[in-house]
Amino acid sequence: MRKLLIGLAALLALAGCGQGDGRTRIYLQRFFGECGAEFGASTDVAKAEGECGIMTSMINRFNAENPDVRVDVNVVAWPGYPQLTAQMAARDPPDLVTMHAGVISDYAAKGLLEPVEPYLARAGIGADSFTEASRLGVTMAGRIYGLPWDTHGGLWHVNTALFAKAGLMSGGKPVLPTSPEELIAQARQFQERTGKPYLIQSLVGDPAGAARNQYTYMMAQGAAVFPDARRIRLATAEGMRVAAFFRRINEERLGTLNMDTPAAIAAFMNGEGGIYPTGTWMIGSFEKEATTAGRPLYESYAVFPFPRLWGERLEFVGGHAWAVPARERSAKQKDAIARFFKFMAAHNFDWARTGHIPAFRAVLDDPKFKSLPHRADIALLGEIGRPLPSRVRRQSAIEGLVGEEMAAAVTGQKPVEQALRDADRRVNELLGELD
Amino acid sequence: MERGRLSPLGWAALIFGALLMIAPLLWTILLSLKDNAELVGNSGAALSAPYTLENYAAIFGNDMTMRWLLNSAVVALGTTAGVLVLASLAGYGFARLDFPFRRTLFVIVLLGLAVPSQAIILPQHQLFAWLHLHNSYPGLILPGLIGPFGVFFMTTYMRGIPMELDEAAKLDGASRWTIFWKVILPLTVPAQSTLAVFTFLGTWNDYWWPLISATHSDMYTLTVGLAAAQMNYAQTSGLGFLMAQAVFASIPIFIVYIVFQKQIVSAMAGTAVR
Repeated sequence: MRKLLIGLAALLALAGCGQGDGRTRIYLQRFFGECGAEFGASTDVAKAEGECGIMTSMINRFNAENPDVRVDVNVVAWPGYPQLTAQMAARDPPDLVTMHAGVISDYAAKGLLEPVEPYLARAGIGADSFTEASRLGVTMAGRIYGLPWDTHGGLWHVNTALFAKAGLMSGGKPVLPTSPEELIAQARQFQERTGKPYLIQSLVGDPAGAARNQYTYMMAQGAAVFPDARRIRLATAEGMRVAAFFRRINEERLGTLNMDTPAAIAAFMNGEGGIYPTGTWMIGSFEKEATTAGRPLYESYAVFPFPRLWGERLEFVGGHAWAVPARERSAKQKDAIARFFKFMAAHNFDWARTGHIPAFRAVLDDPKFKSLPHRADIALLGEIGRPLPSRVRRQSAIEGLVGEEMAAAVTGQKPVEQALRDADRRVNELLGELD
Repeated sequence: MERGRLSPLGWAALIFGALLMIAPLLWTILLSLKDNAELVGNSGAALSAPYTLENYAAIFGNDMTMRWLLNSAVVALGTTAGVLVLASLAGYGFARLDFPFRRTLFVIVLLGLAVPSQAIILPQHQLFAWLHLHNSYPGLILPGLIGPFGVFFMTTYMRGIPMELDEAAKLDGASRWTIFWKVILPLTVPAQSTLAVFTFLGTWNDYWWPLISATHSDMYTLTVGLAAAQMNYAQTSGLGFLMAQAVFASIPIFIVYIVFQKQIVSAMAGTAVR
């Protein structure tokens, strides 16, 4: 028995040695999946591919370059907020966490996130180095609550072969509409000449897509979608104009109906329509098709921000940020977080290879970034991108409600005005319940 | 027609039904054997070669997969064992012992069947946080032991066992514990097996509680771990991997079904409870 106890004590002592290796530990929690099989040992960020691969390699590289710090990574199921909320409730949040810009307000309003200006200052990062879109995404009531590291939003992915067949190419670029009337005219022309729908739309089970259209074109008209933090106002002349227009597209059968996201992606890849409005995150997959001989999209792909149809050229966007949940930390841990910020900012170009728009103005303007496929065409998103007002909470849930009602409006399931009023009512009820 | 033999039409209907049932499983397996990129544009590619095991290699290439498998096994087996012990003891008490407020207590237990787990998740989480039990095996196992269904199930079963057995054992000088352990418990094996299978399957497939209690990846169960390993757009750009995960996570369940087929069928047919 005595020998057994001594053996156990020795084992515990050995286990303890592993914990106390003198390195400062920071606990990082992220989504983007797990790809240890392929990139678990990779520190060559330039050779990594995909969100997961690049992220894993970047963190490995940080660990390699900072031998006195160890970043312990916890990969969570996307988007990870149920776990983060549970950790916060248990007073055991991570030191760093991936967070969508639209979610920051939910946590920051309750004091669950640290303002990060001290970390930024220590890392030598000025808020003026962020793009307008990313700066707005992480700023709430004048404080910065995260290191922004990308902007993502809707893009028009274009099949240029079909556009050429439709006579809608000029100087090697697709001719995109500049007004609602022009869009209808071009769509009719496209449909007549190709026999295919102008727009491929994922209107089933994709509320984010429908909400993106509504937010974008209401913002462009100068409408205050959220007149204050507790109130949405979609049932306005501007809102009616947008919803009625997209309904008209569907009534004239200029776009696909009844497709979910996988079906719409497959349809676009198989050359079954002219434009697929979806996000920055699909650039990599479509570009791969466009560079593979024999594929329907081969050498026939271009991508642009949403065209200006009304008013000013603005577009609703989101973004990813590194947030720092509030908890006690040692000076060394705070220093390690600042160094991590500096490292991530320095490697923002690598992350931009995923298709997302850089969060830093210098990277956005860098010829190296613009030389990546299609990036020169979409870089504008970093400047014209606008998140929802940061004081508005529950943005993710709101997007779901707005998207549901907008999809009902544009597919004809509900009269446009009723759908807008229903969206207003449902969202305002939700916001009214917040403490 | 000889009793118990099927007519050709019956066979045809049976085969059609079986094919209908097995088709989604086959579809899942075929998708899991395809390159993700090939499936993005056309999931119909699953019906033709080439096939690959790379999605399964990616699952096993993750250092944590076996850990998650072990965690699921520990939690599912621990919960099952705990439920059997508690439900048997409680069932014996409610079915065969006379004590004050027995009926009232039993009704209170039955009321537990009407309370959905979501309704108590917040206080439960707070309680476990207060006890520092999150990210631990007890934290994952203990909530599963609250099983009014198991108590009801065992009580009903034990009520069906003749009281004469207890009386005969008492005449032979057996204690309460001996009667429970040596006379009654062996007679409840069919019910125990059924309860064990249901508890094991329910715990193995549980996602919600492990998601918010096991927040460190080394304590994830397989359901949570596999979900975390998925890319953001798994249903489009990682369909093959997603399906390989589904197949992999189903294998232990499949084995349980094969081993305990008799008990599951009798439970489904309602013959486990007399």
